[in-house]
Amino acid sequence: MKNSTLVKGTAAIAVGAALLLGGGGTLANWNAEATAAPGIIVSGDLNVAKSAAGVWKDRAGATIDINTYKVVPGDKLTFTQDLTVTLAGDKMAANVATTGISATNGFTSANVSVSAPALTVGGTAVANPLKPTGSAQTVTATITFEFLSSTTGRADATASYNFNNVAFQLTQVTQAGLS
Amino acid sequence: MRIKRRLQAAALAAAAVVLGLLAVQGTYALWSASAVASPGTVSSASFDTALTAVNTGQTTTMTLPDGTAATLTLSPAGTLGPGTSVYGGLVVTNTTTAGGQFNTAITASQPSIANVNGGTLAGYVTVNAKTATSSAECSTATGFAPVGTGGLASPTVAKGGTTVFCFQVSLSSSAPSTVKGQAVNISLQLTARQLCGVPSGC
Repeated sequence: MKNSTLVKGTAAIAVGAALLLGGGGTLANWNAEATAAPGIIVSGDLNVAKSAAGVWKDRAGATIDINTYKVVPGDKLTFTQDLTVTLAGDKMAANVATTGISATNGFTSANVSVSAPALTVGGTAVANPLKPTGSAQTVTATITFEFLSSTTGRADATASYNFNNVAFQLTQVTQAGLS
Repeated sequence: MRIKRRLQAAALAAAAVVLGLLAVQGTYALWSASAVASPGTVSSASFDTALTAVNTGQTTTMTLPDGTAATLTLSPAGTLGPGTSVYGGLVVTNTTTAGGQFNTAITASQPSIANVNGGTLAGYVTVNAKTATSSAECSTATGFAPVGTGGLASPTVAKGGTTVFCFQVSLSSSAPSTVKGQAVNISLQLTARQLCGVPSGC
């Protein structure tokens, strides 16, 4: 009879163990869920464009048609070209510059004086780098052509000075926080 | 062996540094944009002055196409007797193609009187001049005066404007009959000069 008690005891333990083993199947720890919406990333902008054709004016400030106006010694003509600069971006900054004039000059060099393009914003010299202001900015390029009054004789009558193309560049510059 | 390893390590480090520098200098690509302006061609004007002889109507430009100075013969009308005068004139026009202001002043030099064929007439001939506003004034005897060493300057002649020079050639009333039939060549120079158009001065 002792044997049967021993056997029962063993059987009970075995069943209990089996039950324990059955309880270890699925592991249900706490878990929770949340969703994040990172949003939409929008890029800024950088652009420079001519808003309209440039304008030539004489010494008195009157607009002239460069295709028909003929200069004489003492004439000083000024060319202004407005450039529309678009800048957007929280770390946006850009330098505006000109690559200069490479003209075809038919005058005697000593008889003309041509300035390099000067860049201004609102009348004052441009201070690079430009930063976004929330709306388009206007940068004005100015070139002056003077047929010097020191010209003598009949020098450079019916001569021509072809400006060709004058390029302006807007180049992003790095800022703190960019790499 | 240790030295060799150190050298190896140093070489490796050096190589890494070089690579790093190269990488930084390679491409620097941030945004850029460009715009191009075309100012056009600036052309200069011609400097032309037209001359018209009053008596003959003959015209010429002051400067010939080859760049040399033109010669205009005035041909005063009539014959010259002792105590008489003949008259000639010249209309000068500023024909520049200038776009803006282009004022000129014309100056007639002192005339030179030269005998032709070895005569003596020149000593008895005087030339006077005056400026005028119309060629008709060249027929009137008033207003003539000798030309000084500095020449006779016209008033300002604006773009498209004209001025007139009149000349009076007189034979002295004391001229002897031996000069009868002789001839002289009278010549003078005309110079056109642009006047300063710069407000602050030239």
